[in-house]
Amino acid sequence: MATAETEKKITHADLMKSFWRYIWLFQCGWNYERMQSVGYCYSILPILKKTRPGEEEFKEAFLTNLNFFNTNPVVGAPLIIGAHIALEEAGASLETTEGLKVGLMGPLAGVGDTLVWALYNSIIFSIGASMALTGSVLGPIFVLLFVFFPYLAVRYWQFTWAYKQGVNLVTQLGGGIIAQITEFATIVGLIVIGGFAPSIVHLNIAWKPAIAATVQGEAVTQVIDIQAQLDSILPFMLPVLVTALAYWLLKKGWTPVAVLGVLFVIGFIGGAIGFFG
Amino acid sequence: MTIVIALILAALAYYAWYDTLGPTFTMTVRPLISGFFTGLIIGDVQMGLLIGGTLELMALGVYTYGGATIPEYSVGAILGTYFGKASGFEVGIALAIPAALLLTQVDILNRFLNFIFVHRADTYAENGDDKGFDRMMVRYSHMIWGFSRAIPVFLAIAFGEPVVKGITSFFETYPWINKGISVAGGILPALGFAMLLKIMPISKYPAFLLLGFIMFAYLKIPLVGIAIAGVAITLVYQQLKLRKAEG
Repeated sequence: MATAETEKKITHADLMKSFWRYIWLFQCGWNYERMQSVGYCYSILPILKKTRPGEEEFKEAFLTNLNFFNTNPVVGAPLIIGAHIALEEAGASLETTEGLKVGLMGPLAGVGDTLVWALYNSIIFSIGASMALTGSVLGPIFVLLFVFFPYLAVRYWQFTWAYKQGVNLVTQLGGGIIAQITEFATIVGLIVIGGFAPSIVHLNIAWKPAIAATVQGEAVTQVIDIQAQLDSILPFMLPVLVTALAYWLLKKGWTPVAVLGVLFVIGFIGGAIGFFG
Repeated sequence: MTIVIALILAALAYYAWYDTLGPTFTMTVRPLISGFFTGLIIGDVQMGLLIGGTLELMALGVYTYGGATIPEYSVGAILGTYFGKASGFEVGIALAIPAALLLTQVDILNRFLNFIFVHRADTYAENGDDKGFDRMMVRYSHMIWGFSRAIPVFLAIAFGEPVVKGITSFFETYPWINKGISVAGGILPALGFAMLLKIMPISKYPAFLLLGFIMFAYLKIPLVGIAIAGVAITLVYQQLKLRKAEG
């Protein structure tokens, strides 16, 4: 009995094996049918082999962990895998571990996508791209440094933290921490997008109609600078409008590629005839 | 020589996707990085920075949220930088955008075809064959992703030179095409922001979006400043809310 217990114990080496499997191949094999399922299974498999030594129970756990799974790969997935390992070690049933996965993947996908892609990446990549456009190699190097180290650290930290927290984690996350982090990320994200969108989206009216008029008996041509008029009403009006249009189309169920097509056509025709510039 | 470069850049396109699916060490799938690496490989770093930086600003905030398909900016940056070196930035960027758009179809096909791996995985699981499953993951699970990008890059570079020369003279004859593309390039980032806004509850917090806009458009605060102010404002908001909840 005692030996069986020690055999099921997860060692540091097991943990690291699972972590590096997650790092190397987590989203390889991603597909529309079950998304990250095979990558998740690949990451957890060495643990299952240890916690479920019987042939049938291993097969069952193997199959179950090929269920649909999708969350943010950077902030989210390592946390779920870490907590899952703790539950496995504690002898949890497959229902419990599947409950953990399904319960956390949705909320963490929202938090992760907002924090990692919308917020963090938008900031570092806009800084990097602006530097690159001035001809400085420091632009991409800055981004590489701010991707490599923080990404690895945040993934390792989540994974080991979630494992140590183990069973407590599920109740803790249920107790409002996730909601609070989500709200924080959402609000900061919205503020940043409010400032980013007009700074990155460029659209100006280049067309300046000339109107021939007679002023006090003298013929003059008056050139109307439409863009300057718009700026005096609301700066960055056109970028805001075009972003609103894209948002509205997406909300109506258009695919991103279709919206891109519309934007491209508007911009291309407008630019080609010289109306926009 | 062209064939060697074509092979190396094809390998870069493969790596770019493998990196994103797995280790995410370098984010080479982003055009800023793939453009930079291409520049290093072909010996024209400045072109890599220009093409990569320009595409990056277009693609800012455009990510594969929940598995959405987005334009293939990494292939765009690789080809744009390569052909930009020979024919100039204008030609490079004018090739990069259509190339990125064309390959979106490949991405959809790729994400569909990968169902093969789940079905094989089911069979391995039923037989309890974890070794076989591991082998499939390590050797094959990234192949459809990688080759679907590497092959177009290889073909474009290995056989594209006469075609590109033709395209170059075409653009010189019709300058309005470049004007159209540059305006379109300016508004494409709107898609990224729209995608971000769609996953966020704007109707719940409309004031914060406006605050960011005011800070940029009227107060002219640089972007990093807006981000820092955003953190401060959010902390205050959450503290006030917490105090209210505590009574």
